[in-house]
Amino acid sequence: MINTIASGAGPTGDLRLEALNRRIAGRQILAGIDLAVAPGECLALLGPSGCGKTTILRLIAGLERPDGGRILLAGRDITALSPGRRQVAMVFQSYALYPHLSVERNLLLGMELRGVPRQRRQQEADRVLSMLQLESFRSRRPSELSGGQRQRVALARALLRRPQVFLLDEPMSNLDAQLREELRPQLRAILCGGEAPVVYVTHDQKEAMGIADRIAVLQNGRLQQCGTPQELYASPANLVVASFIGRPQINLLDRGDGSLLGIRPEHLQAVEEGGVAVRVLSREWHGASQQLTVASPHGDLRWITSGAEPINDQLRLGWQLQHEHRFDLDTGLRC
Amino acid sequence: MQSAALGGSEPGCDLRPAARQAWFAVGLGLGLALALLWGGLAWAGRPTTVRLLMPAPFADATAELVESFNREHRGLRIAVTRGPFETESVSDLAISSLLLGDSPYDLLLMDVTWTAKYAAAGWLLPLDDWLGPEPLAPLVAGARAGNIIDGNLWRVPMVADMGLMYWRTDLMAAPPRTPTELVAISERLQRQGKVRWGYVWQGRQYEGLSCVFLEMLRGFGGNWESSGEGLGTPAATKAASWLRQLIVKGISPAAVANFAEPEALQSFEAGEAAFMRNWPYAWQELQGPSSRVAGKVGVTMMVAEVGEPPAATQGSWGLSVLAGSRHPAEAVQVLQALTGEASQRLLVQRWGYSPTLTALFDDPALVAERPLLPILQNALESVALRPLNPGYAQLSDILQRQLSSVITGELEPALAMERAGRGSQLLLEASGRGSEQ
Amino acid sequence: MSLLLMAPALLLLLAVFLWPMLDYAWLSLQAQTVFTGLKPVPVGLANWERLLGDGRFWQDAAQTLRFAVVSVGLELLLGLAIALLLHQSWRGRGLVRSLSLLPWALPTTVMALGWRWILNDPNGPINGVMQSLGLPSLPFLASTQLAWLAVVLADTWKTTPFVALLLLAGLQMIPTDLYEAFALEGGRPWQGLRRITLPLLRPYVLIALIFRLAQALGVFDLVAVLTGGGPASSTETLALYAYLNAMRFLDFGYSATVMLGMFVLLLASALLLVLAQQRWRGARP
Repeated sequence: MINTIASGAGPTGDLRLEALNRRIAGRQILAGIDLAVAPGECLALLGPSGCGKTTILRLIAGLERPDGGRILLAGRDITALSPGRRQVAMVFQSYALYPHLSVERNLLLGMELRGVPRQRRQQEADRVLSMLQLESFRSRRPSELSGGQRQRVALARALLRRPQVFLLDEPMSNLDAQLREELRPQLRAILCGGEAPVVYVTHDQKEAMGIADRIAVLQNGRLQQCGTPQELYASPANLVVASFIGRPQINLLDRGDGSLLGIRPEHLQAVEEGGVAVRVLSREWHGASQQLTVASPHGDLRWITSGAEPINDQLRLGWQLQHEHRFDLDTGLRC
Repeated sequence: MQSAALGGSEPGCDLRPAARQAWFAVGLGLGLALALLWGGLAWAGRPTTVRLLMPAPFADATAELVESFNREHRGLRIAVTRGPFETESVSDLAISSLLLGDSPYDLLLMDVTWTAKYAAAGWLLPLDDWLGPEPLAPLVAGARAGNIIDGNLWRVPMVADMGLMYWRTDLMAAPPRTPTELVAISERLQRQGKVRWGYVWQGRQYEGLSCVFLEMLRGFGGNWESSGEGLGTPAATKAASWLRQLIVKGISPAAVANFAEPEALQSFEAGEAAFMRNWPYAWQELQGPSSRVAGKVGVTMMVAEVGEPPAATQGSWGLSVLAGSRHPAEAVQVLQALTGEASQRLLVQRWGYSPTLTALFDDPALVAERPLLPILQNALESVALRPLNPGYAQLSDILQRQLSSVITGELEPALAMERAGRGSQLLLEASGRGSEQ
Repeated sequence: MSLLLMAPALLLLLAVFLWPMLDYAWLSLQAQTVFTGLKPVPVGLANWERLLGDGRFWQDAAQTLRFAVVSVGLELLLGLAIALLLHQSWRGRGLVRSLSLLPWALPTTVMALGWRWILNDPNGPINGVMQSLGLPSLPFLASTQLAWLAVVLADTWKTTPFVALLLLAGLQMIPTDLYEAFALEGGRPWQGLRRITLPLLRPYVLIALIFRLAQALGVFDLVAVLTGGGPASSTETLALYAYLNAMRFLDFGYSATVMLGMFVLLLASALLLVLAQQRWRGARP
């Protein structure tokens, strides 16, 4: 049932971005972005603020126009279309609910604008309201709802659009941490796996890994790497991706030969001999795990280990070769 | 200054806020005391100041007189407040200050129509005991009226003012004498294309309209009695009707319903009209460089029906001492100086204002210098006075409202004048000054 | 405690509002005129009886209302148009925005004198243009049909910037992502005006309406300078009538009665406005 609602009205297909460029006031916001999202696939755009991820979303929606490149949706070039003719739905960071209309009217307005017959409008709205458990709030104004409820209304409005692509711009950023954890699987269940591609913008790597099939990491308007969360974790293409994926951050050790050695905190282990001798600087105990900062001859290291691990002063840390990442010191690229 | 120096005179001394405030208060008090002392000493040595409020044009015209007065009198000084240009705005300013209680002025230059109102309100000082016997005797007869009300002298006129008819000497041999003649000459000149309009006057809903009307009311054999009666009469209807017909016949522009003195003057000055009703000040303006009719203008009395004497509405500005003045003796001294012969002579010679003293009208040298004087004197002989009633402003307002309705064609003259008559009657009865009294 | 905190405000309100009102109410029961030597003489309800039968009061009330409704209506429409224009970004917008405030910054009397000249018949610039086009000049201020429109025109010219600025502030409070969401749902710009802009601007419209109506119903200086209430008292407003009674006729008892009468009418129209607003609110599902 979920899928029938989430599916678009027209023929569905993948979303392709080809060599997208965007420049604002002489500043390069996006440079040569190539991406493809398959029907039902959820792609997360991940990166620090100002990396261009929201701009990509606005270009897909048609709220901004690219300075170069093409956007194809289900095989159709939509680069020059106005937002209203693109059949895209967007959940805004602020949710952008109409503050003067009730929840129900918020949902009905779009269908009215698109000329959906009155009776069907009501049916559709009722269906989505019940699906998202919003029935008892239907006559409330957005200002009378909690953050989570507002997000559901925004989601409901997006579903009613019957889009060929779903766009979500940091939809969780206004919610508290616990609610975010709860909502993530729900959101995935509702949106992903249907017939429309989903593009999800976030700056939170944990959220991206939790919700996306694939993640595209962006920095300074350039695509750094695109792949499944596992791929990004296991073989980050460069230093940017390596530092962005995985918490606590990867340890980088200068090998003195023009390259950096990357080793994730969770891959360090205490050894009897070999490895490097370290001294504990600080320790946070989390129960199942514990996180330590230790001083080594190569610099301070982050180490994460089991909470049961006994810590003594004469500590040596080592790692397995398979967990080593190497990066070129100049280019930052994996080598 | 003093307090600031005291309060901050202890650098490095860390006073708590309360202590600092106390020091500040002490300093402030000391400073104030010193200032008061200094001010008081200065005050004691200063001459008595007589404050005088005048409309701007008179403040300008008398500036020289005031300056020489101040030079000649050691212990007495005139301070002139230059009021607004418009007559009624000056009154508003004066009344606002009078209503607040302590008027800041000792003397006020007053329009003739204010006198009764100000006297009844108790704002003026009766001048009878301050001036010699028969203080108005040196004035020409037409200038005496309007100063004595209910047996007291309230005002001494400084300049006379009267409604006059200006005519174009280049377009006709002699000015019209009757309303019919004025219409006939106008129509002829307009037909001939010599002028665009026949006659321009003041038709705006304001005091000037009452003045225009009074002259015609007299001209048609009626009168606006001193009591305020006389508006609901056939003569009043005739006068109103004649004014309306001027517009209907195209002798006066429809815009005359919004004309005050400047608009009429502008039109006549541009050579657009054959006749204009205005005050003496216009003569000087018409001889100026911007005038297209300089040297082609004659001045005469307003037209009147055969057998009726022509009338000139009395304007005139005079000085009154305000009841709240703290220096009445000095104020009277200033009043006498500014209304005296030397002062009036200068106002005639330099500014073209009409004098009120017989001696000046009879001075051949002055007449030679100002050929208009005999005409002004003549007009003063047949001057028409507006009612000397404390409620005059309201009486005039009632009249203006009805007249304006006639002029714009909203009301029939007979009905409008009946309403004006009834309105004034009601007001007079309510005020206890009606005819049955 | 809360009462204690509110006390200064209440006292101030009492001092600036209630006290003069009570003073007027007392004065309206007195004959205090030039004929009584400006001393108050109790006359009961005589002033109020006179007010009810005073055709001029009612004529002025109707004229004041007509002026207020027409000019405020025009100001809202024009103000909205200008606000929408200034809300768009275009080259020179800042300059135009500053310039458009000029009429509002000008003192009313100066502005009224300016209009008196502009509308002058036959020497004003408007009639100059009319005549050069071969059209007859119009006696704007000398005709009972045109003069009130001239007053409306001058008032609209002066206060539209105020309304525009207020509405512009309102427009800037509307988040742009609402319009983006609206566009994504297939809404067109003009539909956005009706569906989003106007409803969300409503509180600002209401503030402008209340401010401007209160000002327009009390209009005095503009009329005093531009027309003096004429011709045939066709532009006389209640405030001007109250002023004439006090400052010209020195009839303070009746002037106070006129002011109170005006206040009652103002209150009634404010009440009507609030009721209309509630119905407007109620009409929406």
